[in-house]
Amino acid sequence: MAKKKWDSASVLSALVILCLYAAVFIAEQLIPPTSMLFTVLKKGATYALVAVSMNLLNGFTGIFSLGQAGFMLIGAYTYAIFTVPIAQRAIVYQYYNGGVVQFTLPVFAAMLLAGLVAALFALLIGLPVLRLKSDYLAIATLGFAEIIRTVFQWDKLGPVTNGSNMLRLFPTFNDFNLRNAQGEITVYLSTLVPLLISGVCIAVIVLLINSTFGRALRAIKDDEIAAEAMGIRLSSHKQMAFCVSSFFAGIGGAMLAMYQTTVQAKSFTTAMTYEILLIVVIGGIGSVTGSCLSSFLFVACSEWWLRFLDQKQVIGGFEVPLLRNGFRLVVFSIIIMIVVLFFRQGIMGTRELPDLFRKRRSPAKGGEGK
Amino acid sequence: MSDPVLRIDHLTMQFGGVIAVDDFSMVVNPGELVALIGPNGAGKTTAFNAVTGVYTPTSGTVTLLGHNITGLRPDQITGMGIARTFQNIRLFSSMTVFENVLTAHHLRRTSNLLSATFRLNGAEERQMRKDTEELLRRVDLYDLRDEMATSLPYGKQRLLEIVRALATKPKLLLLDEPAAGMNPQETDELGDFIRRIRDEFNLSIFIIEHHMNLVMRISDRIYVIEFGKQIAEGVPSEIQNNQAVIDAYLGGGDEL
Repeated sequence: MAKKKWDSASVLSALVILCLYAAVFIAEQLIPPTSMLFTVLKKGATYALVAVSMNLLNGFTGIFSLGQAGFMLIGAYTYAIFTVPIAQRAIVYQYYNGGVVQFTLPVFAAMLLAGLVAALFALLIGLPVLRLKSDYLAIATLGFAEIIRTVFQWDKLGPVTNGSNMLRLFPTFNDFNLRNAQGEITVYLSTLVPLLISGVCIAVIVLLINSTFGRALRAIKDDEIAAEAMGIRLSSHKQMAFCVSSFFAGIGGAMLAMYQTTVQAKSFTTAMTYEILLIVVIGGIGSVTGSCLSSFLFVACSEWWLRFLDQKQVIGGFEVPLLRNGFRLVVFSIIIMIVVLFFRQGIMGTRELPDLFRKRRSPAKGGEGK
Repeated sequence: MSDPVLRIDHLTMQFGGVIAVDDFSMVVNPGELVALIGPNGAGKTTAFNAVTGVYTPTSGTVTLLGHNITGLRPDQITGMGIARTFQNIRLFSSMTVFENVLTAHHLRRTSNLLSATFRLNGAEERQMRKDTEELLRRVDLYDLRDEMATSLPYGKQRLLEIVRALATKPKLLLLDEPAAGMNPQETDELGDFIRRIRDEFNLSIFIIEHHMNLVMRISDRIYVIEFGKQIAEGVPSEIQNNQAVIDAYLGGGDEL
């Protein structure tokens, strides 16, 4: 029964998540920070948040939007613009006389602002775009992302966006490490903090999904006509989902900026949206847990586990054929094709973490995210 | 006499050159169970859709308890007290029986997005769940509450759709062919059920149905339309002996 708030499966899930966080914290103190593990965890945390935000639209509301990279770009720029230290502005904005923004915001305030600005853009774009359905909506949002990418590189906006030059020298994940007076790192937190930020955001999305508004969104996805006949106003609920999704995509963008340590509009391509869409599909459309799992798997495969395919490998004097630069992407594409062809439901289907601990499938409740 | 619950005045619904409903007028009085019958393609469902806001009438007005609701959106009309079911069942397929009914309580919410997300609406949410539970018990669906809605037997799905409509707390319930696809026994039970909810929930009911036995048994009054035009109106015994109705159903070559 969905009434009882904390059944044993949910408690167990919460424990699992807590243990994972503890493991990351311990690993971070013991393993050298240059290990690929932390790269994967940092980027995975970022992608997990954006993937879940996309899942909120595609999987839970039935709005097929492809604007995610555009909203990430807005978030990344907003974050970077307001956090470059004043002392560094002359260097960063060297072609624009130090830029027009001459103050900085605290890191978390800037991240929040990144989300809010992305949500504001979503509000404006949603008014015309959300009247469209399915494929047309996807095309329109894709177009929006492309336009945003071009506009941010516009020379006239240079004093704010630095034109087509990159923004850099703003606080990154490494600034979360605690240092002593000599500047030596005492406690490593550069991986744990992004995971925590992402975890908190995803938890909020899960709370939303399991609230009365989340039910309304799922009703819209199942049957718009019936949802409307139940008194659910389609336009306002779709708009709401679009803005919330973009808000978190914006925060995800800010996290990506911190991960990359630089921001440049031209890197927020359509391919990035497709990567995230792929993560959502592989994880299971309609499963928050699935999106999180597949984010880490996806990032681990593309950044780490399949890297060996790009280099010549000699095993016992035998040179393995085909292995050369770029071969990784071929193998990667094949894996994706296999998943899409034979595992349409994705890793999780529509199940969530607590469902794994239950005997009988009871879709009444969602998971606690990652 | 008090205001009629529903009044349709000179409703016309035109799609291009096709006039689906032509100058149709009717009333449903408080507590009344009114049926709309007619051969296939007569414009019954179109009339329903014009009342519930799915279509905006080409001309004419629809009045609910004295309020003009012509041209409002479906969700606004539901909020004002008209709930409906569909000819082909439209349950929320990813949800359980319980969640289907629970979702219908969304329109009475006082919480907003933030308060609902951060669970500041505990009392309201508990009330919603309590009401849903109570409603399911009253209609004997409580034992099936955790089943997926679409895994129920066909008859139960029809029933659930009516219950979900009831959960919006309507004053007028519109049923679009609720007995479609049911066997005679199920149809009988449905007839009893419809009369029961009318009495227990103080409803007025407006029903489209093809099962003549059912219509004749439960209706207080019947309207008959053919080609979008009203051809008869009266109590069941009058309709059964009306020559125009008999011609429309038998003479016109349409199946019953």
